[in-house]
Amino acid sequence: MPIDIYWRIGTHGDQQSLRRRVSSRGEWAPVVPGSLAPGVRNGRRDGYSYVEHMADVARASESSGFVGGLLPSFPFTDDPWAAAAALARETTTYRFMIAYQPGFLHPVQAARMSASLQRATGGRVVYNIISGGGGPAQLWWGDRVDHDDRYARTSEFLDVLKGVWSGGPFDYQGRFYQVEGAGLPEPLARQPFPEIYFSGSSKAAIEAAGRHADYYLSWLEPFPALAAKFAQVREHSTAIGRAPKFAVRVDVLARETEQAAWDEIRRGWAHVDPAALRGADGDSVGWLRSQSFVSWPVRDYRELEVSPNVWGGFHLLRGGPAFGLVGSYQQVAERLDELIGIGVDAFILAGVPHLEEAYRVGEEVLPLLRGHEIRRHSSLSPISATKGSI
Amino acid sequence: MAAYPDFLVTVPTQGDGRDPLRRDRGEWRPRRPLPPFVTDLRPGAFGPFDHLAQIGRAAETAAIGGALVPFDPAGEESLVVAAGLLRQSRHLRVVAGFHPGVAAPVYAAKFSASLQRFTDNRLGWQLDVDLDPAVARSQGDFLRGADRYARAEEFLTVAKGVWHEEGYTYEGRFYQVLAGGFQAPNSGLPFPRVYLTGTSPEALALSARHADVHLFTADQDVETGVGELAAQSAREGRPVEYGLRLPVLARDDDDEAWAEARRLWDLAGGAGEGLPDPDPRTRLWGGFDRIAGSGPFGLVGSYETVAAGLRGYLDRGVTSFVLDARPHIEETYRLGERLLPLFAKEIEHAH
Repeated sequence: MPIDIYWRIGTHGDQQSLRRRVSSRGEWAPVVPGSLAPGVRNGRRDGYSYVEHMADVARASESSGFVGGLLPSFPFTDDPWAAAAALARETTTYRFMIAYQPGFLHPVQAARMSASLQRATGGRVVYNIISGGGGPAQLWWGDRVDHDDRYARTSEFLDVLKGVWSGGPFDYQGRFYQVEGAGLPEPLARQPFPEIYFSGSSKAAIEAAGRHADYYLSWLEPFPALAAKFAQVREHSTAIGRAPKFAVRVDVLARETEQAAWDEIRRGWAHVDPAALRGADGDSVGWLRSQSFVSWPVRDYRELEVSPNVWGGFHLLRGGPAFGLVGSYQQVAERLDELIGIGVDAFILAGVPHLEEAYRVGEEVLPLLRGHEIRRHSSLSPISATKGSI
Repeated sequence: MAAYPDFLVTVPTQGDGRDPLRRDRGEWRPRRPLPPFVTDLRPGAFGPFDHLAQIGRAAETAAIGGALVPFDPAGEESLVVAAGLLRQSRHLRVVAGFHPGVAAPVYAAKFSASLQRFTDNRLGWQLDVDLDPAVARSQGDFLRGADRYARAEEFLTVAKGVWHEEGYTYEGRFYQVLAGGFQAPNSGLPFPRVYLTGTSPEALALSARHADVHLFTADQDVETGVGELAAQSAREGRPVEYGLRLPVLARDDDDEAWAEARRLWDLAGGAGEGLPDPDPRTRLWGGFDRIAGSGPFGLVGSYETVAAGLRGYLDRGVTSFVLDARPHIEETYRLGERLLPLFAKEIEHAH
């Protein structure tokens, strides 16, 4: 039961720390002296773009012990497919977990792009299939399919993608997709099929995950809520004869001492706009859930610590999900071990700034993990799953 | 061409790490392993140069002017490291340290002509003349005293001679060349920028004739050195720029920088002794050899404090700063994002 630990590569620039929500890496803020990728040399732009910094982060996390990186996808980010194609040539073993929505691409095209990337990388492509957070962002993409239908479409999308993968000829008549005589050409068809990390917290998502997920991926939530969610997925999957593994995205702020870690949060909290203490656009069940674990409004950052070291205010200090771990290296390792204990098989960890924290977490936290012993002694039955199965 | 002031970072030749006891990046010491149940794809896929490459890329991304790879007989070979760092960058100037005894001057020039061609002329040399005698002997060099400077003088004369003149002939005490000189396309290139060091009369005389930049360290009398060298280089009729190798530890504010200095000091075994105070006049702190394995004297403080210290040197004519900060990747980003912008006005005025 190897545990796969991924890092996140920010696809919309980065801050120097959580202390100030000011981006200086990438073109998401004005390019001035002190900006990176692009940087300023002798008063002029140096000709680089943000992909250069993403490459630094990819190599930093690759060499500090992470198996790969999640490339998130939102309207304001760089595109993960394009980034993966660029970063493939900058790394050796690093896997690219490409976040995308089925509405972006026709499944035959997705198969072709994936197979080519598998050829370019020696099989280092992983999917993070998201079905969309809904709300205004869905129409930004030009996607008018509503929430539950999006998961039905995701199922069809993956049926077609897998159908053409082995070479065809493949016919399909669905609600959303129709193909006739489709199939990847040799030698694209001989590539290994990417592992699927499947996100979504709603009932529709969990049903679709049961059919397709190699890993069911969730944001971090308070541990009992997460365990309950996993149980629901497990129950649904067992009923149809499948057994996905579980993965969780965890932001980490780890320091030598717990005090030093909270000091970082305290410094960042001083700059939080009180008006920004609540925001729940869209029909994302995951986001609404994450907001429900805290009684808003809050006055002090420690009120967002819902259980030891589990803090729900990361979204106030940087763009992204709310929950993460704050504590000493040892405490953070212990919480990750507890997550392994409730069934987590893979992590996507992240910290700001992504480059520096990749080294820190890789060097200081990961070597302290003891999860295997915890899993062995826990009452949970071992979870087996097929790897990259079609 | 270097900007003014010019900032370089120092490349570690014996590994790097987060603290004085853990220099495990770059395969000079074993890394802490991941637990066996965690997938680790690294074994066999990475070599020590991957780490050095990341430092070079950090300097390139952070818009640092250059990098110095010091001559270190007990560490990585600097010319090879420099070649690698130059290859993967577009702007970074890389200065390779070496000793005149390690190669024939014609060969050093030939090797460098290739690097200049490959990298749009971004190579520099730091010629180390004044080695510890035992180290020199371990490298096969038994020359002592002022003779070392006489040889360095000949070394640079011959290297520049074959570089600039076809049919070059030289008859010296240490080197002889008959009808040498490079041909196109190895001819006509800019000679590597030459960095020299030392405060002895012989060292300053050599710099007056051959250095583009003369590097001091913070424990030396920089003001006197600059004055003497300026007078000598004026007599030689050629300009010399002045530089400083300086360890730094910079953070958001002074308290945080000193807290980090104390943490590293205690880790390095100083816990029982208390942290030494910085010099009240120069603000220089003498503990860097212990926490960073670099020269002892450097600056600790907020970015503004460190910038003020550097301005003190700028006022005395120093324009190149070869900074040293560990761990190099993280600190290089820090210097590029936080320290260099404080000199944006000066850099703008120089162009």
